Amino acid sequence: MTEPASNMPAKSFGIRNMNAFMFEADGKLNYHNMPEIMWGINKKWMIHAQGFISNRQEGGFETEGGSLYAKYRFFSEDNLKSHFRMALYGRYSLNKADIHQQELETMGHNTGYEAGFIATQLLHKVAISSSLSYERALDNNPNYKFPITESNSAMNYTLSVGKLMLPKVYTSYKQVNVNLMLELLGQRLNENQKSYLDIAPSVQFIINSQARIDLAYRQELYSTMIRTAPNGVILKLEYTFFNAFK
Amino acid sequence: MKKLLSITLLLFITTIANSQIIRAELTATGLTCSMCSKATYNQLISIAEVEKVEPDLNNTTFIIHFKSNTPVTISNLKKKVEDAGFAVGELVVLFKLDKQVAENNTSFLLDNNTYTFMDTKSSTLSGEVKLKILDKGFVVDKEYKKFLKMTKQYPSYVNTNKNTYHIKTL
Repeated sequence: MTEPASNMPAKSFGIRNMNAFMFEADGKLNYHNMPEIMWGINKKWMIHAQGFISNRQEGGFETEGGSLYAKYRFFSEDNLKSHFRMALYGRYSLNKADIHQQELETMGHNTGYEAGFIATQLLHKVAISSSLSYERALDNNPNYKFPITESNSAMNYTLSVGKLMLPKVYTSYKQVNVNLMLELLGQRLNENQKSYLDIAPSVQFIINSQARIDLAYRQELYSTMIRTAPNGVILKLEYTFFNAFK
Repeated sequence: MKKLLSITLLLFITTIANSQIIRAELTATGLTCSMCSKATYNQLISIAEVEKVEPDLNNTTFIIHFKSNTPVTISNLKKKVEDAGFAVGELVVLFKLDKQVAENNTSFLLDNNTYTFMDTKSSTLSGEVKLKILDKGFVVDKEYKKFLKMTKQYPSYVNTNKNTYHIKTL
């Protein structure tokens, strides 16, 4: 669910597809598909462009919007099999779907922007990341204005821990790597102090040291705000092209 | 004239043939997993003068074989590792030398790069010799700071010149 403070290698290009199967209280399935292209400009900068497609609206699948995301790694201290990194990121999204919940989410639900900070500590096979961000929702033009009565800004905070489980000893790049990860994701609305906290365990498979499959389950631990479909399963597929540009 | 030309040519070829860089052992830092190692491997293999790269995934080291009779630019190795998103923790280069005097603060020239000895026992080097690069970005920060404190003994170390490297015998 969250990005680490590290970047993609310089001059590499990646494609990612996120499939979110989220369930409403009555069992109705909200399916979101978010295709994404990622570009490692240099060792400090990377940019993503993402599209948002979902079946939430009446009439089936619709492209609801897209976003641009940039990450700047401003600090990196590397040691043998460990590192500490910090990065700043920003996202700007456009979304034309109706506004149906108090939760703010510029990745798939709201027009708006997010700016944040990430820190990651890698120690041998364990990586711990934490992030803090400010998110602001704007009107979902052309048809849906952001309700004046609701809080249009929030603070987000996350904590994640991941561990490389397999292989125990490396013999080649072709071995499948298996990582287990646990994320805590929270949001607090600035104007009314409503908040939520979710937990998301996940398993990641890295194939041929180049492709990645993530399978996660997101579960709300508590919430004092209205959220349409906070719980569900997320499947992400990712592939990196190294040395894609000269 | 022809005799002078052929003697000069012979001397020139002898100089090249007698000093060259054969391979390097690079330890990368900041990574653990194979995807990171593969990203680093792909960057290293893209260097023009590199013939072959042998990765050791468990120790995050890479043995880099250079093409014969091709000039080697050591800083390319550091740049490519950093482009991959990581750093060089150690770089040991295998040189082939011919009666090269190894003494602190003395240098030799190879492929338009100057190699200056420091922290080295005085000796004469011939044949295949492993020399470790000590400059910033080629050693871990802790080691770099240790060498920075020795500026009185090795005054040229602080000057970060693109074509100058500081080396020590192992």
